[in-house]
Amino acid sequence: MVIRTAPARGHRPVLEGPGFLARADLQVLIDLLREDGRRVIGPTVSDGAIVYDEITSLDDLPRGIGDEQAPGRYRLRRRNDERLFGYVVGPTAFKKWTFPPLVPLTRAAKDGHRVTFSPEPIDVPPVAFLGARACDLAALGVQDTVFTGTAFVDPDYAARRAKVFLVAVQCTTAAATCFCTSMGTGPEVEEGYDLLLTELDGGFLVDADSAAGRAMLARLPVRPAAAAEQYGAAATVAAVRARIGDPVPAAGLHDRLLAQLDHPRWAQVAERCITCGNCTLACPTCFCTTLSQVTDLTGRDATMYRSWDSCFSPGFAKVAGGSFRSRPRDRYRQWLTHKFATWWDQFGSSGCVGCGRCITWCPVGIDVRDELNAIAPAVPLVPEAPIVEPVAATPNDFVTARVVATRQETADTTTLTLTGTDPAFAKGNTGQFAMVALPGFPPLPISISRFLPDGIELTIRGAGPATKAMCALQVGEQLGLRGPLGNNWPLDRAVGRDLVIVTGGIGLAPLRPVLHAIVADRRRFGDVKLYYGARTPADLLYRDELERWSARHGIEVSLTVDRAGPEWTGRVGIVTHLFDQAAWDGANMIAFVCGPERMMQATSTTLAGRGVPASRIHVTLERHMECGIGLCGHCQMGKYFVCRDGPVFSIGQLGDIFGREGI
Amino acid sequence: MTAHVPAAAHAPASARPRVGVAKFASCDGCQLTLLDLEDELLSVVEHFEIIDFPEATSARSAGPYDVLFVEGSVSEPAHLERIVELRRRTRHLVTIGACATAGGIQALRNWADHDAFRAAVYAHPEFVHSLARSTPIAEHVAVDAELRGCPIDPGQLVELLTALTTGRRPQLRDEAVCMECKRRGVVCVMVSKGMPCLGQVTQTGCGAICPRFGRGCYGCFGPREQANAAGLARHLQMAGDRPREEVGRLFAGFTAYSEPFRSMVTELGGTRTGREAAPGEPAGTTGGKA
Repeated sequence: MVIRTAPARGHRPVLEGPGFLARADLQVLIDLLREDGRRVIGPTVSDGAIVYDEITSLDDLPRGIGDEQAPGRYRLRRRNDERLFGYVVGPTAFKKWTFPPLVPLTRAAKDGHRVTFSPEPIDVPPVAFLGARACDLAALGVQDTVFTGTAFVDPDYAARRAKVFLVAVQCTTAAATCFCTSMGTGPEVEEGYDLLLTELDGGFLVDADSAAGRAMLARLPVRPAAAAEQYGAAATVAAVRARIGDPVPAAGLHDRLLAQLDHPRWAQVAERCITCGNCTLACPTCFCTTLSQVTDLTGRDATMYRSWDSCFSPGFAKVAGGSFRSRPRDRYRQWLTHKFATWWDQFGSSGCVGCGRCITWCPVGIDVRDELNAIAPAVPLVPEAPIVEPVAATPNDFVTARVVATRQETADTTTLTLTGTDPAFAKGNTGQFAMVALPGFPPLPISISRFLPDGIELTIRGAGPATKAMCALQVGEQLGLRGPLGNNWPLDRAVGRDLVIVTGGIGLAPLRPVLHAIVADRRRFGDVKLYYGARTPADLLYRDELERWSARHGIEVSLTVDRAGPEWTGRVGIVTHLFDQAAWDGANMIAFVCGPERMMQATSTTLAGRGVPASRIHVTLERHMECGIGLCGHCQMGKYFVCRDGPVFSIGQLGDIFGREGI
Repeated sequence: MTAHVPAAAHAPASARPRVGVAKFASCDGCQLTLLDLEDELLSVVEHFEIIDFPEATSARSAGPYDVLFVEGSVSEPAHLERIVELRRRTRHLVTIGACATAGGIQALRNWADHDAFRAAVYAHPEFVHSLARSTPIAEHVAVDAELRGCPIDPGQLVELLTALTTGRRPQLRDEAVCMECKRRGVVCVMVSKGMPCLGQVTQTGCGAICPRFGRGCYGCFGPREQANAAGLARHLQMAGDRPREEVGRLFAGFTAYSEPFRSMVTELGGTRTGREAAPGEPAGTTGGKA
């Protein structure tokens, strides 16, 4: 039977299809699930809390035990009855089984010049989740969207999730930390389960909501439930709703929060916040992960693992030059605004299901409800949709490519020419990147600096151990690639317009394919100006090509360096100075800019002053990236994943988050 | 404090990297972790040439070392010169354990009257050559990598050795012990039992061993990056209703001399005097050669 509340909640429930299972007969359900080859994951008492873990018998369940929860505090208490589900949610979320804390992804091996990458087989046993609450079901739904609901699917999650049988339980009590009512996820379980139990004094009302659930229900020793039992159950659930109330009025929360990026409360909460990350790992929807390499001492075999990580750890948004969110207040703001605001833009729902785990399990008792209610004025912002659709990629799967040529561009920068690449690269576009891996090293995002009929080129600056190892590759050696990833420079919008390209140092690499495309079809574009700066003359990339573009293809190439010797007769100074005095009008112009964020900001300001509209100033952003397809969370920037929604953005798209500290 | 001179220390490229172990003021527990790597030991010897390791072999060498593991804190006058000399002969200097990385439990004397301590413990304090402060190696010479803990974690040691042979950066996560608790499904002892726990401000690497056995972390891996020790101390005093000194004492353990734990000990008390010796005093010693 279903307790269906009408869409307007709080109405008298409509009841249908009764079924009653005696309490002792719940063992029959556990036995049948195990007979079907499932591990049964359910509530059990461990270390002073009710956790979800494997159970085999009714005796494993927390009979007659309840819980008391408050910010930063959790205690078990004895109830005056024999109920098996007389508590709310504990520290564990079911994501532990659908999205385990540690998963081997890919095995890599190196044998002389040959490297191989083989995805780890995904071999998971079927499971049954017993005792999932409305918020638990909502959380599974949220992670379903994150991992399987966009262009990119996480194969490990998909395999695990497909093998879950869900036995949900109606909440008959609430904790002081619950706020599912505000998030619209509970307390009533309404859909998305196989079987649903509502606990009464002597047993359970049972109903099914799927073919598998109905088949299981037919095997259970149930009798028709009495009308009094049904109404009693419905009244209990209604009382839970009343008890929780509406602690975080959610209407307009998205816009209200995003309007308060400079609220003084962020700094205040950061005084209390330890940035330990407990909230994110206790959260049933948080999905951020980090890759680690486990190598043997020979360095020949390596396995890449994925483990839970948190946007609260200082290193999470780190790139070679430092962290994008260096202050604790930045990281708290990132978490809160993502959960309650930008999650809507990315996935069409809130990232919060109101389970209250982040409140109870915060060791210093920070209450997310208080923080939300303190940061509240109503100034709506209208988000602009990304302009370019992402292309497909091969998740979790590296394809080897072979080095057929290397060219030392500067003292620390090398261009590798690769063949044997994934056929997907043949469809790649300007501005895209690849995740590049050597066995034992973390994979790195590298811009594609040239597309060839049967391969690509990567121009790599040897800044750290991994990039140095890539630069040291010799002809005949191999590496692993995933891609092409990310969106592209909107070259189609440049047709018939004047194009200005502003870049510095290694930043020319992701723009080189743009120049190749222009010279291949020069007449389609108006005036093309390239402003390029480097530290010294010796740090200029692609010098022969720069000369050719200028001499043969009518591209106006202007160069500048920070420091120069006597042999340099060109300009010295920062790149924007090259066109500070130039006499051109930006009205018919489109701009592509690549460099450090501060340089891109300064350039954008100058270009805007020349009349180039914000929607036609495009930048490519650098962020920490590991998965490249919006699944690991590292490159989160406001409502965007830079890897998937970018890396190319218009200034108009980014709005006031562009260049803002700590985003 | 001193120049790092790596160039002269290179071993021939063809040879296995030459590894040494040096001990300062410590209990030897960390260097024994190297011997405890039972499964990997043969592989380690295959890839590294152990040239100096008093706990394992009587054969000694004065270097040069490609990798030198340094255990213990600088605690005696003779240590001051010795560590500078070892640094000169070493390419990668790796400090191991709470003594070498933080000054160790013996750094609690940095808040006390050194002479009074010596007089109270030893019949003839004039024969005891010790510095007034126990200090971490990095206060004296440049350190290339550090392994935290009391003792260090064998897994992290293997990771460091592997990174050296692979040529990548060692993957030593700078995050709270809490992260490891949550990944392992350990129920938070602070939230569920009301125990004070330093896991939130302590660097991970131990596998959350103390919370796994139902007790609070006492911070032997030392403070993690940007550890908000003041925030935790405030919470423990206010919400936990604990006296100041009791909270100060939580930080006064094996890594007490590392900031920001050090400021907590000084501010809140929790050692005998609660006052840290002034930074000017330390090099001065009262016994032996100065």
